Amino acid sequence: MQQDTVLVVGGGPAGLAAAANVNSAGYKAVVVEKEDVLGGAPILSGYAKLVPSGEWAKDAIGRMVKRVEDDANSTVHKGAKVEKLEGEAGNFTATLTNGESVQAGAVVLATGFTHFDSINKPEWGFGTYEDVLTTTQMEQMVASGKIACPSDGRVPERVCILLCVGSRDRQIGREWCSKICCTVSANLAMEIKEISPETDVFIYYMDIRTFGLYEDKFYWKSQEEFKTKFVKARIAEVTASGDGRLLVKGEDTLVKRPIVIPFDIVVHAIGMDPNADNPEISQVFGVGLEKHGFLERAEQYTNTCGTTRKGIYSCGAAYGPETIDDSIAQGAAAGGRAVADLHALVQKAG
Amino acid sequence: MATYAEMQQIFDDIRGDFRYDHELNGCLNCGICTATCPSAQFYDYSPREIVQLLWTENVEQIYDAMQEKIWACAQCMTCAARCPFKNSPGGLVAIMREVAIKHEMQSAKDVLRPFGRVMLKLITTGNQLSPDMIQPDHFPDWGPNIQKVEGDLRILRKAIPVKTLQTVETAWEVSLKTSVEMYTIWEMTGVLKSLELMDENLFDVIEDFIDEKREDYEDWLEEQEEEDDE
Ligand SMILES: Cc1cc2nc3c(=O)[nH]c(=O)nc-3n(C[C@H](O)[C@H](O)[C@H](O)COP(=O)(O)OP(=O)(O)OC[C@H]3O[C@@H](n4cnc5c(N)ncnc54)[C@H](O)[C@@H]3O)c2cc1C
Ligand code: SF4
Ligand code: SF4
Ligand code: SF4
Repeated sequence: MQQDTVLVVGGGPAGLAAAANVNSAGYKAVVVEKEDVLGGAPILSGYAKLVPSGEWAKDAIGRMVKRVEDDANSTVHKGAKVEKLEGEAGNFTATLTNGESVQAGAVVLATGFTHFDSINKPEWGFGTYEDVLTTTQMEQMVASGKIACPSDGRVPERVCILLCVGSRDRQIGREWCSKICCTVSANLAMEIKEISPETDVFIYYMDIRTFGLYEDKFYWKSQEEFKTKFVKARIAEVTASGDGRLLVKGEDTLVKRPIVIPFDIVVHAIGMDPNADNPEISQVFGVGLEKHGFLERAEQYTNTCGTTRKGIYSCGAAYGPETIDDSIAQGAAAGGRAVADLHALVQKAG
Repeated sequence: MATYAEMQQIFDDIRGDFRYDHELNGCLNCGICTATCPSAQFYDYSPREIVQLLWTENVEQIYDAMQEKIWACAQCMTCAARCPFKNSPGGLVAIMREVAIKHEMQSAKDVLRPFGRVMLKLITTGNQLSPDMIQPDHFPDWGPNIQKVEGDLRILRKAIPVKTLQTVETAWEVSLKTSVEMYTIWEMTGVLKSLELMDENLFDVIEDFIDEKREDYEDWLEEQEEEDDE
């Protein structure tokens, strides 16, 4: 009975929302997640408090995981991928890497993104200096409740966050904005200050994209209540000073002169790359990729949840940089659309 | 001071260069180019400013920048390697300099005058620089180290094991054929025309020299043919 089952690939916020919506319509969901835990990036990378709710990731996403795991109509395969997909819309058979096979009428690809690897931007010091971190590492430090320099454990006097690391940069073939990192960074600055009041946080930006309701809640609040300093400059290089601090070199574009400023910790606000698995996913599922390497949408307005192949849907960060909230909304929509199309198929056949 | 129409013409010439659209895609105003630019560390010069002036078509300020600022660029192209938008501020400066020459701007003449010596050497010997040009009064920036090249250059050069490096008036020898080919390249690419605009006296000297060399070359070719006929 594949026509009452939807195969959901990827157990992040988008996939969990898709599975839950499939279940709520009375259909069965089979979730295939390649890692050993569900929850996607917020859980796998140990995010601290989420934007915009302020809830801890493990609580918020944990509720989504529990909802799916507790549903009798959901089956979860962890540590597995889809190796082969045969059939067509209404009648797919997927072979998993764990040897099992799944019959499903529709497939939702909720395979998300891959964090940008800062090693690809060597002039910004990641991998060279211990006190250069990524936002995911800094989130983990915040979650641990103690702000300290990894090199020697001292409490940092000055921390800076460099925005757009691995985004908006033709030199490394990343021509997109990752959408959420401005807000995440403004939030992170507040979290750092909250735990370590003696630490000053500076954010180096090209543009601030705290879109919609994030403007006052994050950009303004971070300045007004937490004294975060926003400097309009993109950094050219991070080097070390003789005394164990980091030197950050940029242009203060408002004052129009090159500047070199010492910091104790430099944080890269890393962007969202297309899932490194996408070429494989494109092959296995027979779906197209758009020019940046994310999954291609079937049609922007009338088939927003579709891919280039009938019966295969997508959602969330698999389509491009996306927030958790929108990934969830898209996941729910994709699950709903898959169920609706299956329902129509059965009606027609009946 | 130029009229607005003249300044507009200068900008049109810059914008009309076939490289222009390749070097300038827009600008994110991020400042990476200026932060990474060696000249910006020492001079009142900023590649981002140059890019912004061009992108916003500020013809008066572009003209102003061509009086002094554009000559501060070292043409190292670090900016081009770093710009996240893949602009080439250094490449734009190169275009602006060529247009400054075309318009016979005084700033170009002032900056290029000291290079006359190099130009002459290049045309007459095919080398930009030779040991006998390295004299203490021409290289104050070398500091006391310049003393080391004083003395008998011929003997100093002998110490270099590579055979071609033992002359004093040239760095190496350039054949007549190569020289004549170089003249044709300079002629066709407009280098000699630029030289004429910048320094007419030097151009006359060089032109005579080139004519002479070309005649030498023709004679040599004839000799070859005669030898072949025998
Ligand atoms: C540093 C940082 C902080 C962030 N903080 C916030 C925040 O506070 N608020 C917010 O709204 N957004 C935040 N985001 C964005 C957020 O991470 C994404 O919106 C969200 O993770 C997207 O969910 P997703 O389910 O589409 O993808 P993912 O979270 O990437 O989940 C995809 C899942 O699919 C699995 N998978 C991948 N490939 C395969 C495969 N081939 N087979 C099987 N399974 C596979 C993965 O293991 C993963 O579990 C942040 C992003 C970054 C980089
Ligand atoms: S959201 Fe902000 S930090 Fe992230 S890529 Fe866009 S502009 Fe840069
Ligand atoms: S090419 Fe010119 S503008 Fe560019 S970095 Fe070098 S000196 Fe600066
Ligand atoms: S590096 Fe490029 S994008 Fe940034 S200011 Fe310079 S020219 Fe503009």
